[in-house]
Amino acid sequence: MKIFSNKNFVAWYFVFPVAFIHLFVIGIPSLASLALCLTDWRGLGEINYIGFENFIELFDDRYLKKAIINNVIWTIAFLTVPVGIALTCAYLLTGIKRGQMFFRLAFFFPYMLASVINCQIWKYLFHPIHGLGGFFERIGWEFLAVSPFTTKSTSLFAVAFVDGWHFWGFLVVIYLTGMYQVDNHLYEAADIEGATKFQKFRYITLPMIRPVFIFSIMIIIIWSVPVFDYVYILTGGGPAYSSEVIANYMYSQAFERFDVGYSSAIGTLMFFYVMIIVAMFGLFRRAGWDI
Amino acid sequence: MIKTVISFVSVIILSTSFSAISKTKVTWSMESNADRDPIMIEKLQNAYNNSQGNYELVIEFEDNETRLTSMRTAMIGGMGPDIVETPGPSYVKEYHAAGMLENLDSYAAEFGWKDKMIPWAYSSGVFEGSLYAIPKTHESMVMLYNKTLFEENNWKVPTTLEELEDVAGKIKAKGMNVFSYGSDGWQPTHEHLVGIYLNNYAGPQAVYEAIIGEREWTDPVFVEALELLKKHMVDEGYWSGSLENYYAIGWDDFHAQFANRGAAMMTIGTWTFQATQLGIGASGDEWGWAPLPSLSSQSPDPNFMIAIGTTMSVNANGKNKDGAIDVLNWIMSNKDKVLDIAKDFEFGEMVVPLTLSSSDIPTDIAPQVQDYLSEYARITGEGNYGYCTWTFWPADPGVHIWKDMEVVWAGDISVEDFLYDHQKMWDKARKNGDTLPVPLRN
Repeated sequence: MKIFSNKNFVAWYFVFPVAFIHLFVIGIPSLASLALCLTDWRGLGEINYIGFENFIELFDDRYLKKAIINNVIWTIAFLTVPVGIALTCAYLLTGIKRGQMFFRLAFFFPYMLASVINCQIWKYLFHPIHGLGGFFERIGWEFLAVSPFTTKSTSLFAVAFVDGWHFWGFLVVIYLTGMYQVDNHLYEAADIEGATKFQKFRYITLPMIRPVFIFSIMIIIIWSVPVFDYVYILTGGGPAYSSEVIANYMYSQAFERFDVGYSSAIGTLMFFYVMIIVAMFGLFRRAGWDI
Repeated sequence: MIKTVISFVSVIILSTSFSAISKTKVTWSMESNADRDPIMIEKLQNAYNNSQGNYELVIEFEDNETRLTSMRTAMIGGMGPDIVETPGPSYVKEYHAAGMLENLDSYAAEFGWKDKMIPWAYSSGVFEGSLYAIPKTHESMVMLYNKTLFEENNWKVPTTLEELEDVAGKIKAKGMNVFSYGSDGWQPTHEHLVGIYLNNYAGPQAVYEAIIGEREWTDPVFVEALELLKKHMVDEGYWSGSLENYYAIGWDDFHAQFANRGAAMMTIGTWTFQATQLGIGASGDEWGWAPLPSLSSQSPDPNFMIAIGTTMSVNANGKNKDGAIDVLNWIMSNKDKVLDIAKDFEFGEMVVPLTLSSSDIPTDIAPQVQDYLSEYARITGEGNYGYCTWTFWPADPGVHIWKDMEVVWAGDISVEDFLYDHQKMWDKARKNGDTLPVPLRN
């Protein structure tokens, strides 16, 4: 019994409630999902073991392949555009003395809005009748006459743009926090050496915020895997699967086609993909990366 | 005196409370709709509760998507509402296969439900020889048109493909869209159009043969039907001007487009009657309806596609099965009350498929709706009915028919390849016993 009053054991009292909830809310359903991927369960009734049939079907599924490719494109888009804009804006904001709070709030504001509201705003803006397209058409311009959400070649990028618009303000805030931790003496020394603003960013700011930066890269890669809400609300994965992503496809299999077993197989695939990413970052840390 | 009044009031309060408490609760999980809910409360829940003293019906309204998920979860756990409302036979099939629905055969026999219902609608709830569901709403697809606009321009309401393409050219020349319709907010809208082209080009008989497995979906007649749809949708932009606009336009927009002469016609289900009456009615124009035009010589006669909108079943694990049966029997036995509810929705909702005579049709509804009800009864009674995909297609091919149709319209796969995949899904559904009841043709 002494162990329970041990000082080192006290921490477990605080961890236990969260761990207990996680076990029931995440642990057990995840294990059940892992087991269901080997069955033909349709969400109700009998569960039959079918071995790896779902996985065989999965590797032959052209729309899943399309969804995986779209997820990769999505990840690349998020690793470049919002990161680039957020880094630039955060760096520029550090030089603003008056009104900085206004910009920080303005950039962060979309992140505070619910995804449904963000989506509705952009849906109306791009609406062919009531949106900007309709407005420009009335004054004789064909600009945006067709909604980018409904065009095969642009739908994925249009959805990524809306999600990115809501997300980049969050990146600005975390980069800004990192930049404020940088010792000011380094910049003063650079000024004495005659460094340009870009050189100070490249050789001081960027290396000094590396932990924050790598953290942002990691969360972007991980969050890009289960991306769902913006796709579901704006395009439903269409037109013609052009904006389909893995999570939306998984949802469709489970709740539209009632193929829960197959949907679980897709979920399992996602789980292992995320685990690989996390393991990679773990390896980088072991290799001495400052993450 | 005061004491007497207090005693009197107390007795009344106690007796009222006691009667409420003594009633056994019957729960019904129903799709929520801000316009419909008050009417359902007043004319269904309260009317039923006032009609007897044993049960208290409680309707729980919820957004349909959330409702279906939470109801499914509850039923897996051996609970859930007493009356199970589903969006159609494919859902009933799943619940029935899991043994979660009560067999209604003995009640149907005891209360004579079979004789009270339209035969095809009754058989849509029969699974493995027994009744498990009763349709709450049955519906069809029709073509609406702006009657005032047609009369002004001397246009003829199309009844054939040639007439349709002719009038479409004239409508487009006037700078209007041929049909008002769109899929924003409800991607399965595509299946409405696919169903029209399959039934009105290939013909209901061919569709029936494919459903029961006597004809392949890869048959040239279906290929031609979907090629024609693709031509009208993608090349001609019949619906809302272009494929992209059709994808971008939702319920409010396409009703507005029809009401303000942005389009001359609309292909839509009969659930729209109330919205159409309110929309175009306010614009000052008069609307009319017609059966969907025949699109080939294989489907020469006008037909109505039959469909079930929502179904009612009894939860096998429900707390009050007797009460649930009593509610269903009240609906089946009170034609006048059910018609009164349907009347409030211009026969777009709560259209229980009870057998009606012409004298049953209310006279205080829109004349177009009265006319539709008579024509629907006459034409389907002659056996000229087609098949809506959301009622007769199993879940997997049922999703494929609308979701993958976008791939055909995008030109990513050919109609032949699409129908080859479709046939494979039907084969799989047939092998797994997932096909749905389909009424025999006369």
